[in-house]
Amino acid sequence: MKKITIQLVFFLCLVAFSVQAQDDSKINGEAIFGDLTARHIGPALMSGRINDMETHPTNPRIIYAGTAGGGVWKSNDTGTTFNPIFDDYCQSIGAVAVDPNNPDKVIWVGTGETWTRNSVSIGDGLYKSEDGGANWKKYGFEKSERIANIIVNPKNSNEVYVAVLGALWGDSEERGIYKTTDAGATWSKILYTDERTGCADLAMDPSNPNILYASMWEFRRTGWSFESGGNKSALYKSTDGGITWNKIHNGFPEGQLGRLAIAVAPSNPNVLYTVIEAEKDERKGLYRSDDAGESWVQLNNDFGLTVRPFYFSRITIDPKDENVIIKGGLTGSISRDGGKTFKPLGNMHSDIHDVVFDINDSDRIYAGTDGGVYRSWNGGTTMEIVENLPLSQFYHISVDNDEPYNVYGGLQDNGSWYGPSRSTGGINARDWNSIGGGDGFRVLRHPTKNIIYSESQGAGNVWRYDVDNELIKTIQPLPMKGHAKLRFNWNAPMAISKHQPDRFYMGSQFLHKSEDMGNTWEIISPDLTTNNPEKQQQEASGGLSMDNSGAENHTTIFTIVESPFDENIIWVGTDDGNIQITKDGGENWTNTSLDIPGLPKHTWVYHIEASVHDKATAYAVFDGHTMNDMTPYVYRTTDFGKTWTSITTSEITGFARNIQEDYVNPNLLFLGTEFGLYITLDGGKSWSKFTNNVPSVAIHFIDLQKRTNDLVLGTHGRGVIIIDDISPLREISPEVISKKVHFFESKPTVMVDQSGFSGNFGAETQFVGRNPSRVAQIKYLLKKRHTFGKMTMEIQDMDGNKVSTLSPGKSKGINIVNWNYRIKQPKIAKGKTTTGAVSPRAPAGTYKVVLTKGKETYEHSIELVYDANAGLTDGDRADKQDVTMKLYDMTQELAYIVYQIDAILENTGTDNKLGKKMLALKETLVITTGDNYVGSAEPQLRELMTQVFAKIAYSYDSPSPNEMDNLSIIEERFSKAKKDFEKLKSKAKTKSMELQSFEDFLND
Amino acid sequence: MKHLKLFLFTLIAGFGLTINAQTADEIIETYLENIGGAESWNKLDGIKLSVKINQGGMEIPAEIVRLKEGKQMVVIDIQGQKVKQNVFDGEVLWNTNMMTQKAEKGTQEAAENMKLEKANFPDPFLNYKDKGYSIELMGKEEIDGTNTFKIKLTKSPMLVDGKKEDNISYYFFDTENFVPIAMQNEIKSGPMKGKMSQITFSDYQEVDGLYFAFSMTQGLKDQPGFSMSVDGVELNPDVDVKAFEYPEDEASEEPKDKN
Repeated sequence: MKKITIQLVFFLCLVAFSVQAQDDSKINGEAIFGDLTARHIGPALMSGRINDMETHPTNPRIIYAGTAGGGVWKSNDTGTTFNPIFDDYCQSIGAVAVDPNNPDKVIWVGTGETWTRNSVSIGDGLYKSEDGGANWKKYGFEKSERIANIIVNPKNSNEVYVAVLGALWGDSEERGIYKTTDAGATWSKILYTDERTGCADLAMDPSNPNILYASMWEFRRTGWSFESGGNKSALYKSTDGGITWNKIHNGFPEGQLGRLAIAVAPSNPNVLYTVIEAEKDERKGLYRSDDAGESWVQLNNDFGLTVRPFYFSRITIDPKDENVIIKGGLTGSISRDGGKTFKPLGNMHSDIHDVVFDINDSDRIYAGTDGGVYRSWNGGTTMEIVENLPLSQFYHISVDNDEPYNVYGGLQDNGSWYGPSRSTGGINARDWNSIGGGDGFRVLRHPTKNIIYSESQGAGNVWRYDVDNELIKTIQPLPMKGHAKLRFNWNAPMAISKHQPDRFYMGSQFLHKSEDMGNTWEIISPDLTTNNPEKQQQEASGGLSMDNSGAENHTTIFTIVESPFDENIIWVGTDDGNIQITKDGGENWTNTSLDIPGLPKHTWVYHIEASVHDKATAYAVFDGHTMNDMTPYVYRTTDFGKTWTSITTSEITGFARNIQEDYVNPNLLFLGTEFGLYITLDGGKSWSKFTNNVPSVAIHFIDLQKRTNDLVLGTHGRGVIIIDDISPLREISPEVISKKVHFFESKPTVMVDQSGFSGNFGAETQFVGRNPSRVAQIKYLLKKRHTFGKMTMEIQDMDGNKVSTLSPGKSKGINIVNWNYRIKQPKIAKGKTTTGAVSPRAPAGTYKVVLTKGKETYEHSIELVYDANAGLTDGDRADKQDVTMKLYDMTQELAYIVYQIDAILENTGTDNKLGKKMLALKETLVITTGDNYVGSAEPQLRELMTQVFAKIAYSYDSPSPNEMDNLSIIEERFSKAKKDFEKLKSKAKTKSMELQSFEDFLND
Repeated sequence: MKHLKLFLFTLIAGFGLTINAQTADEIIETYLENIGGAESWNKLDGIKLSVKINQGGMEIPAEIVRLKEGKQMVVIDIQGQKVKQNVFDGEVLWNTNMMTQKAEKGTQEAAENMKLEKANFPDPFLNYKDKGYSIELMGKEEIDGTNTFKIKLTKSPMLVDGKKEDNISYYFFDTENFVPIAMQNEIKSGPMKGKMSQITFSDYQEVDGLYFAFSMTQGLKDQPGFSMSVDGVELNPDVDVKAFEYPEDEASEEPKDKN
């Protein structure tokens, strides 16, 4: 006995210990998020950048799109619609490859986009699915950053080549060509040049898998420059499966080379094409070999073939005709004479990165652009967009306070837009409004007026749009006397003030302030950057092809925020690592970031969040990825920047760009990284990845809508993603999570009277964003998932009468149960057909939620309120309620009469006087013939009663005189019917029948 | 002290075993044991469930009947009208058209796939090898905030648009009690093709020694679905086989519409 006691004590200690070990102030969010699920609202109408297209070798219905920032999408209907198949993993895709030996099952995905613009995302390795995309496994290459091609030997699935382009922003040895002969278990590097040179393109001879062609590219990007080309760029050939490689440059231009494309004609493997970036303009362009690379002839150096090689370097050859070739480019170019002459592809979004031909019909072409996937049915002459790819790449988003609130934002190569967070029938393409051209970045709504500020790259244009009067004015700050030339970032910062609605800030290297919405500007700071001249040589940027688009402008201000407490306190962050603060409206500035522990110098200040809880507190997010540093850096100051403390942990993956502070709970913070959303519930002691329908997508900006508490994510590849009402997270504390059941407080639910028409004809293949729920939601936390035994939920009035039965959620963590604030449907008379079922709304007031879990009962209350927008008085509401419930009761009474008639008829039959009369009466009460469509019979009392019941109950308004008039006719008819029935009933021998009481009948 | 050590050892060893040494077969074995034992399940000839389908407060009562020989039907009660849906008599699959209230046959392909479902009665994991099914432990995954074993169940190939395709379901068994709390399926056809559907199971309760999930929620993964709660389970119900037959002559019995 003693031993048992000791054991027991020991066991208890152990349990206590393990509980204690978890029970410090860290809170694990993953086990809490539960039903808190994100919804995607797109937009998809302008879609987003595509990196790689892939066909299935035998099934023309299947098409894959590997997207720059939105994962892998699969079409099963020849490109009419696509579905995502890679949401749980890195969303930046370099290459998708289908194993030709097992094309329904085996798909390889190499992450990390390969068209290396300034805003590219990064990859995190190689993946394979062996079940057509349902499950994925990682196959290494974590540091590869970008994978350009994957080729599976068409005769041997175990043999796979992977072309790694590698790191863009720094040296890396994880580049070149890798080969596996055991289906990915082990890899060997079979071609490597140096830490600056990666494999940009790889091709295999379709008739001989030992013959490979590889283009190696020397390239490097920094925050302020891009360099393409060098002595190491070259085109290689191997004829022994990659053991030995030889340069094949016979006929190539002299001097350094840049990015090269390579393609082998499927119909004639001796025909090769390459596109060459060379020193001399006249030697750039398309080259062809007719002898499998022995010699090359230059064919064409049109603009369409030489434009921006780092962005466009894909050659696609018609699988049936080696003389039909397409080259990606600004518009995309097609040649039908073996590359001698080209014409542009049909009208579509510019910047064509990849094109594939249908496997059987070369008239059918799929193109991947900066604006999604396009299809052609006539060989590329006319192109039509795929309408359900919500791949929009936001740089920034913001929200207003309208009802419903709008989301504003700017997109890579797709201008600026705003759209509603809710719309009738879902958020459709037509709900979005264009609010700026070019590349879009920051978009802000004026705090009090219907005026929107937007911009294009480098503040080339800053637009002030008066929405109501449709007036557009450009208001960008212009160079001023006595000041240096202005340097604006590609993604130039703008800010508005909480204190002065007309105030508007912009940042170049100086902070510009306007008090009149951008009409007049003053500079209120010195140069706040490092003003390092070495980072200001953009006209020399590009390498072999000059590329001075403004995208590399550096030593600029990147983020501006005015303190919510004091309009004289302004924080400014620069792309070269300065956090400057003024406390006197710009008179004096202090650089607070000279010595931040653990932070490399000059790390890009991506975002500063001035706390709404404390004047001296702010958060700063630094992004080092353009210095080849992928560490997330998030710091907090509580003393105006004198000291900064890191609040990151090893739980965060991917470099960070944005942080959002909760307005209520200072310990609740939301962090957007390159690989998704992270949430801390304890002020940064621990972070949890939020995955409920938020893919591992780069999140560039986060906003929190104050009225709804909706967390709005601006993603760079999956559009706008919203997590509705995060308020339950505010209540999470160690005490709350130790309770068996905890109900979260919620605001009273408005029973919405507003509605609209959705008329969605012709939108069948369009993406439609999900609307938020507007019904009453009961939210509670369960300590443990409920799996065994009964668990039920009822809504009761405050007297304990049942109003509705709901299905409670059983998850561990947060559960959200919807109640459409309607009472149980009335029992309806049984007829030959069915009639509209009317569930009236519950009257406004407080209701009890009763959760029964096993033997225990938990109670909570929720409140329903009427919609003030409907303009009804209390008297109107009372009238409506009375009449509605009168009809509710009449409906049930009628149902009971019909039940009794049926029971009597069953007992007596219809072959007698009473039976005949009963039947005749029944035929006036309910429809006894016909069907539910055009075979419908003449409506009877039940149908007429339902009609006016539905009309009144579903109207926002109180009953109209016309409706009351109609009701009185029905009441008269009903009262006569009741009398007739009672008379007949008295003649039937009902005592010998087992008739249910009215109450039993209702509850049956 | 010796005892303590021994105890600790057993505890750790025991713990280690549950964490590491589970195979798919052990999980299924424990599962079947926990829900009443394979022997009892093998004796079942039919099941009738009385359910309520609930969507945001609107409840529709229904009955679901499944018999060993593959016959099955769902009878929905709409305003006292019993409407049969998804009825299969072993050969013919049919539904009731809600407009005309008349029976209409499903596609032959759906019927062929329904024939395969016969082997799922009463539980796909029961004697799964004899059925030609295979299982694989995919690893652990968190579902509903709960640790689960993810088991891939591969059944006989089904027909999709005329072609045979793999018929795969993923079951998520709670690591604590070894009952499935969720099941996922890839949608094989229609506009949702490629998306994952999900059913979650809870409220397991005992009926004559067998355990059934009395609550289920069905929908697309990561999206709100509808719920179904079970009011009663009848084992080996007495059902007239005629109830499953396609009513060939129903049309002629209908009185002509007066209009």
